[in-house]
Amino acid sequence: MSEPLLKLAEVSRVHGSGATEVRALKSVTFAAYAGELVAVMGPSGSGKSTLLTLAGGLDSPSSGTVSVEGADLASLGNNGRARLRRTSIGYVFQDFNLIPALTAVENVALPLELDGEPAGRARRAATAALAEVGLVDLAGRFPDELSGGQQQRVAIARAVVGQRRLILADEPTGALDTETGEDVLRMLRGRCDAGAAGVLVTHEPRHAAWADRVVFLRDGIVVDESGTPPVEALLDRGVVS
Amino acid sequence: MRRLRISWAGWRLALRLGRREAWRAKGRSALVLVMITLPVIAVVTTAVLASTINVNAAEGVDRQLGTKAAALVTAQPGIKDLVQGVDPGSGGWSAAKNRPRATQAQIRKTIGDRPMLRVDLDTYLPVRTEAGLSDGMLAAELDPTDPLAAGLFSLEDGHWPHAKNEVVVNSHLAGRGPGLGEMLTVPSLKDGAPATQLRVVGIAESAAVKNKPAALALPGSFPAVEDDQSATWLVGGGPVTWDDVRALNKLGVTALSRAVVLDPPAAALAQEGGSSDNTAAVVGALVAVMALIEVVLLAGPAFAVGARRQSRTLALMAASGSTPRQARRVVLGLAVVLGTVAGLVGLVGGIGLARAIEPIAQHYNGDWLGPFDVPWPAAVGVAAFGVVSALLAAVVPAWIASRQDVVAVLSGRRGEGKPSLRSPLLGLVLLGLGIVGAVLSTRRATNGEVFIAGSAILCVLGMVFLVPVVVALVGRLAGRLPLPLRFATRDAARHRSRTAPAVAAVAATVAGVVALGIGNASDQKENRETYTATLPMGQGLVTAQVDGVTDWTAVRGAVAKYAPKVTTTPIVGIPEQYDGAYLDLSVRADGEDQSPESYGGYGASAIVSAGAVLPSLVTGNSELAKAVDADKAAAVLRDGGAVVFTSRRPVADRATLRLEIESDTGGASTRRAKVSVPALFVHVDGRVTAPAAAVVSATAAHRLGVTPRTTALLLDGGVSKAAEENLHEALLALGTDVDAPSVYVERGYQPDSYAWLIQIVLGCLGAVLMLGGTLTATFLALSDARPDLATLSAVGAAARTRRGIAAAYAVVVALVGAVLGALVGLVPGIAVTYPLTRTAESICDDRGCVTSSQTGPFLEIPWLLIVAVVIGLPLLVAGVVAATTRSRLPLVARLD
Repeated sequence: MSEPLLKLAEVSRVHGSGATEVRALKSVTFAAYAGELVAVMGPSGSGKSTLLTLAGGLDSPSSGTVSVEGADLASLGNNGRARLRRTSIGYVFQDFNLIPALTAVENVALPLELDGEPAGRARRAATAALAEVGLVDLAGRFPDELSGGQQQRVAIARAVVGQRRLILADEPTGALDTETGEDVLRMLRGRCDAGAAGVLVTHEPRHAAWADRVVFLRDGIVVDESGTPPVEALLDRGVVS
Repeated sequence: MRRLRISWAGWRLALRLGRREAWRAKGRSALVLVMITLPVIAVVTTAVLASTINVNAAEGVDRQLGTKAAALVTAQPGIKDLVQGVDPGSGGWSAAKNRPRATQAQIRKTIGDRPMLRVDLDTYLPVRTEAGLSDGMLAAELDPTDPLAAGLFSLEDGHWPHAKNEVVVNSHLAGRGPGLGEMLTVPSLKDGAPATQLRVVGIAESAAVKNKPAALALPGSFPAVEDDQSATWLVGGGPVTWDDVRALNKLGVTALSRAVVLDPPAAALAQEGGSSDNTAAVVGALVAVMALIEVVLLAGPAFAVGARRQSRTLALMAASGSTPRQARRVVLGLAVVLGTVAGLVGLVGGIGLARAIEPIAQHYNGDWLGPFDVPWPAAVGVAAFGVVSALLAAVVPAWIASRQDVVAVLSGRRGEGKPSLRSPLLGLVLLGLGIVGAVLSTRRATNGEVFIAGSAILCVLGMVFLVPVVVALVGRLAGRLPLPLRFATRDAARHRSRTAPAVAAVAATVAGVVALGIGNASDQKENRETYTATLPMGQGLVTAQVDGVTDWTAVRGAVAKYAPKVTTTPIVGIPEQYDGAYLDLSVRADGEDQSPESYGGYGASAIVSAGAVLPSLVTGNSELAKAVDADKAAAVLRDGGAVVFTSRRPVADRATLRLEIESDTGGASTRRAKVSVPALFVHVDGRVTAPAAAVVSATAAHRLGVTPRTTALLLDGGVSKAAEENLHEALLALGTDVDAPSVYVERGYQPDSYAWLIQIVLGCLGAVLMLGGTLTATFLALSDARPDLATLSAVGAAARTRRGIAAAYAVVVALVGAVLGALVGLVPGIAVTYPLTRTAESICDDRGCVTSSQTGPFLEIPWLLIVAVVIGLPLLVAGVVAATTRSRLPLVARLD
């Protein structure tokens, strides 16, 4: 039986205290398996982005455990979580978040360089990733010389370069036109079909349609789930044996 | 009227926004405040202390007159047409040979029948202390119990002197020698006369003198100074007016009048001379300009970042109808707020600090300080400097902010456009003018240094305008650098408004350090290469005491004791002074005085040869020996003649030796002798020092009627430094109370100990300012780059990456600034070596002056200092930044 690539078990996240306390997530259990794309939907303030930041190890839960590839993130420490983000987890943001001072290929090569890869090897891998997203001709351009769609594709290339197995995308099409947004989702879908696990935060149903499952959040709680869970999930829950 | 209302409303809005922005961005505001407040505090403190230390006439009148006297009058014989100002020392007088000194009765007749007290307040005598002999003791004589003397001395312990063998001393003198109950010994000024001994019966502080020895006794207690025929009185009664002073002047009497000092009439002030030292004022102005440039460059990045943080606000204002001028005011409003706060804090802080330091300044100052005095015009001016520097620092960011692309800002695009061409062109023009100015200034005969300093400022300003282009160029070349450096370099290039001022501040500092370093090193090179050894290396010389009478047997004994391996050779000649007589020897030929401009150091105007042999002082000096034809010299000396050292080139073969002996012993008398002798003239230029005006034969000396005497003792065989010190102390003990024989050992050029200290101070100053500028830029860059650092964290950068990027920012700013600054600093540095190290000697006669020789300029580049500042310091600064930077990267903020 395969383990989920990402697992949140009874995870809660509380911000502030007393009168300003905000419970962003309340005992949420969530999993994403290799090969599946899970969409997370909900209104503003429902905890979608909090779920993503916890999944990426950028934040720590107030209670519960977050595991990536079987490793409890809490036990890894800051350096361990950073290593996971360099090697296993890819992030795609709504605002692209490319480094303006680096070219497209350098932005894509960034996690590899940070991981100590020689510059030449990192650049080659980055160029290959850019080719996957159809932007190899623009490798030497800086972000402010690219359109929004091109920047987002560079961001996706950065999220998938190397052998990343978990892709976290936070409203990746929010700043794009419809056609470009569809292209981005197609790339994400393709990556998941190739074996990665993807978590897509969106509030657009038509974007959620690209996913295998949709998890609905409201006020920090999973209120509904639709779609077909993978066999592993059913085995996990003891639904099937 | 409407325009004024709009204008005032605009400033009101700008100041309100500035106040809130200053409070909101506390860290950045604190940075700017520190940059501006510290220099204001430093200058205000200095100005207040200087004003306090300086005792003006009104503040000092009590120190000279006490608290009761109306005036201090001094009568002297032999003067007429006396005209003075407020200060009796100003003005002038003519000589009147036989005019007697005015009497007390005459003075009373002129200014009325007033109480008068005879005093002596300006005689300084030597005194024996525990350490030996101290000259410069104020030996005041007056009756301290007289009411007119009140306030001149204050009795602290014991009692006033009651008899002429009693004295009170101040605490400074008591601490160094005779205390209460002990004997004060004042050596006689006449040879052979016994010293005067006075019993110390009290300790009293002088109002005029603090950290110098002072003593007070009844009139006639101290040894008389023979040639002082003046008489001084304190005068009581009502005010001594300016008319009284003029009337006293007609008697040949000077007067320091309290009334005139406190309320000087125009006529009195007109007599006060004044000398304006333009050079000091110009140098001061240049220093102030450079300080202003440094503050503006250091504070500029903070305003640049602030302006960018406000860019969305300004863009929204523009979308609502504001003009570029109103946008500029928003940025300048912050500068006004911060500059005003900095100025006020600096003013109050500077005054407070001066007050706190005042006791320390008093402790180390030799004289009593004046009353605590705040020079308000200067202090307020310095505080205004704070406001001006903040405004100047914000001008460029305000201008850039007012010209931003509103659409780009509202759509969230960061970064700046391409650099304009105007500023770099202006920079090239200024730099070119500065270089040309420096080159032309090297040809100036006077004040070249001042003009070169002005050219240096032009070069620095030109460099400042070129920095953005240089930073942009460096950014383009960063492709192959490691990630942290690549990121930092390109980010620095993208945000030139923040980076360029910091780089310029570092560059300006390094330019100054390099220029001053070259000047200092070249000066040392000049000293080294133009050094003329007085003696052959290792040879020593003991010279007679000033009056020429020396116990040479005792001297030889001291040499044998402390330097037993040394052999001694006496120098026998015609002394310049002996036993109270002054012997002046001149040599004439071809109708001109042939005496060299300077010679010797052996106490003899002419060396007397032993037979026909030239003394070792000549033959042992290789440069001199080359100039002398030894055979001809021997022939001349054998014939009873003289070998004459001269800077001219006479053609005669004979010289007239003239000797004038003035003696004061038993009354003034002058004896003259003149002989014509065969002569050999030896030309000496400035590089060779002749031992005397001439070497004369014993026959010639005899014909002049003078007895040759030992004037010095040569020491051969090596005298160690320790032996030289021991010998020096031993010779001091041999002397009379006034002077003693002295020893000198030729050790070649000894570098000025200050030279290394200057290099170290320059290096440290460069380090401090470089660290300040780099920290400013790095702190602001890290703050500015927070979103990028969060992205780095999101893609897995380790926590230490932030530290690496901080160090990279520091290296970029410091290294680029240091390299630029070193290149620019070479210009004034090399130029200043011309006026500093080039000297010309001239020969002048009735027809005018002709340059006879020229040395220099000397150029030495202090490579160690430059390498340390250009490479070592940036690395050190980067290390400090890395060590003090928090290593944690910011995490991505909540996104929903």
